[in-house]
Amino acid sequence: MGGRPSRIVCVGNRLAAGDDAGPRVYDLLVERGLPDGVEAVDGGLGGLDLARFVEGARRVVFVDQVAGFGRAEGVVTLDREALAGAAPNAYGHGAGVAYLVRALPLLLGGDVPEVWLVGAEGRVDGERLEAVTRAALALATNGRCESTTC
Amino acid sequence: MASASSTRIDLPINRGEGDLELRIEMKDGTVEDAWSVGTMYRGMENILVGRHPLDALVITMRVCGMCNVAHLYAAALALDAACAVKVPDNGQRLRNVTLMVEHAQSDIRHAFLLFAPDFVNPVYRSHPLFEEAGRRYQAFQGSTAIETLQETKKAIEIIAILGGQWPHSAFMVPGGVASNPGPGDLLQCLHNLTRFRQWYERRVLGCTIGRWREVRSASDLDAWVEENESQREGEVGFFVRFARAAGLDRIGRGHGNYLSFGSLDMPETTSVVPPRRGTTFVASGFARGTTVEPLDPAQVTEQVAHSWFREYEGGRHPFEGETRPYASGEEGARYSWAKAPRYRGLPTETGPLAERVVERDPLFTDLVRNGPSVFARQLARLTRPATFFPAIETWLGEMAREKESRYYAGQAEVKSGRACGMLQAARGALGHWVEIQDGRISRYQIITPTTWNASPRDSQGVRGPWEESVVGTPVRDPENPVEVAHIVRSHDPCMVCCVHTLQGGRAVGKLVL
Repeated sequence: MGGRPSRIVCVGNRLAAGDDAGPRVYDLLVERGLPDGVEAVDGGLGGLDLARFVEGARRVVFVDQVAGFGRAEGVVTLDREALAGAAPNAYGHGAGVAYLVRALPLLLGGDVPEVWLVGAEGRVDGERLEAVTRAALALATNGRCESTTC
Repeated sequence: MASASSTRIDLPINRGEGDLELRIEMKDGTVEDAWSVGTMYRGMENILVGRHPLDALVITMRVCGMCNVAHLYAAALALDAACAVKVPDNGQRLRNVTLMVEHAQSDIRHAFLLFAPDFVNPVYRSHPLFEEAGRRYQAFQGSTAIETLQETKKAIEIIAILGGQWPHSAFMVPGGVASNPGPGDLLQCLHNLTRFRQWYERRVLGCTIGRWREVRSASDLDAWVEENESQREGEVGFFVRFARAAGLDRIGRGHGNYLSFGSLDMPETTSVVPPRRGTTFVASGFARGTTVEPLDPAQVTEQVAHSWFREYEGGRHPFEGETRPYASGEEGARYSWAKAPRYRGLPTETGPLAERVVERDPLFTDLVRNGPSVFARQLARLTRPATFFPAIETWLGEMAREKESRYYAGQAEVKSGRACGMLQAARGALGHWVEIQDGRISRYQIITPTTWNASPRDSQGVRGPWEESVVGTPVRDPENPVEVAHIVRSHDPCMVCCVHTLQGGRAVGKLVL
């Protein structure tokens, strides 16, 4: 395929129930294999330092556990603007993906790729995990969410 | 307990997660009492029991997203000792460089993205430097805030290059490191470091590291600030001027006890000279006031009288320690999921200031002569990278030159035994204690820096360090207690990284630090 890759950056802590959706999606992606031009990253608790995986990418899809975005249980898709709008104004030890996304123009200059977040809200069972994985793959591949849960 | 005229306020310390909060009781505009509350049970130690000892390398670095090199290093030190293996010089250098880079990045981000933005708080509107503080530290807009984001980004690449992977790069193993960087890797690291150091000298110090090291007393510091425009307008100079005018040298006293486990084992052959001669670059020790004594690891205990853990008498050394959550009963008397670590039975703060005091650094010994303060803690953190950069450069150069020196010495399988790994993480003293039976971990205890600083009361009812350091603090506006925020941030709390769910909507809580 050539050119810049799309990256699915899975965020969270696989040792903490309720924060492990990202790592579980990463495991699924690696197990099943990825389409050409799509890379997966186990971003762990990287926070601001995940900027290095955004740099040089054509499109970045973060996968993370979320809370408070409307549905008590479901799959949430946020674009870059919505994500940056959810960022805290000040940095802290809990500054996560939203803070990073808001900081991207400062970190990368004008070269900010297309950014999405696919979030798992509430309890993440096998079905929801599948839905999150499908949504992340669809966004990474063609920039459109084809899942009905989005 | 609260009297009729007193007010109790809960202060969530970590915005999104709410896993650490400070409850303060105020009377007549002054903090009368405080309780530091760890609101989340972690139990990382129990995850390790029954596992292969090497699993500790992979699991414990997930204790914290910001200090994962420190946890990896502590686990590796414990396993080095259990295996009775000596790390070769290049392995030692590589370990040290990664930990120092993690510290430097953390110190700079804390200073300009976390601590300094409080200078833009409306309570300082009449401060003569308020508008300038806004130009520097306003989130996502201030010049220093923006440069901090940009300059610290490259630092993590040094860890990624030397570790061969990032994140989750469990490159330290008993006997050394698993990576073997080539000349190009080391050159790239030196390039990144040189850029970071040049920015630090130009923007933060406003002078060379050599000139900064000549500042040896509080009066030297005042003279240094006024020596020229670049030092006066540099970030350290600005901090000194703003903080003194805001009275930050008069709040945040605390117990006046300081603990450093020491860290960064010295290679056998090196031209790096530690600030205080010894086997580690960062000195170990315990200080009461400015009286320093050698570290005795047997004096570390943890108490649970006010913690939600199964009761035991007095304190236990981590080798005898247990992590058995017990939340029912005695609510109020027990108020935290953190244990109460004590050294010689005493609460003690830890962090960059403790390192400087234990090291008998003349400037910081002078600054804490009448007790610690927000000013001294933050100045110690802001200037710690100045002690690290020259050593990092030297060790990277030595790694490039000494191609024959190995990175890994091999290791023995450990069937039984116990050992500890103690070092200084970015926020202070970190210890991992491991016991191995039949080739499996039978006990693992971790005491993090924030557990020391955010300790609840002990069995004698003595407050933990930051509980003590906020008591007596005058607060101008209870709805906006920025004075308390300064004190807590000067300890740089970190208990958050296990869970970091992104939160939509407004943060829950009356006041947010």
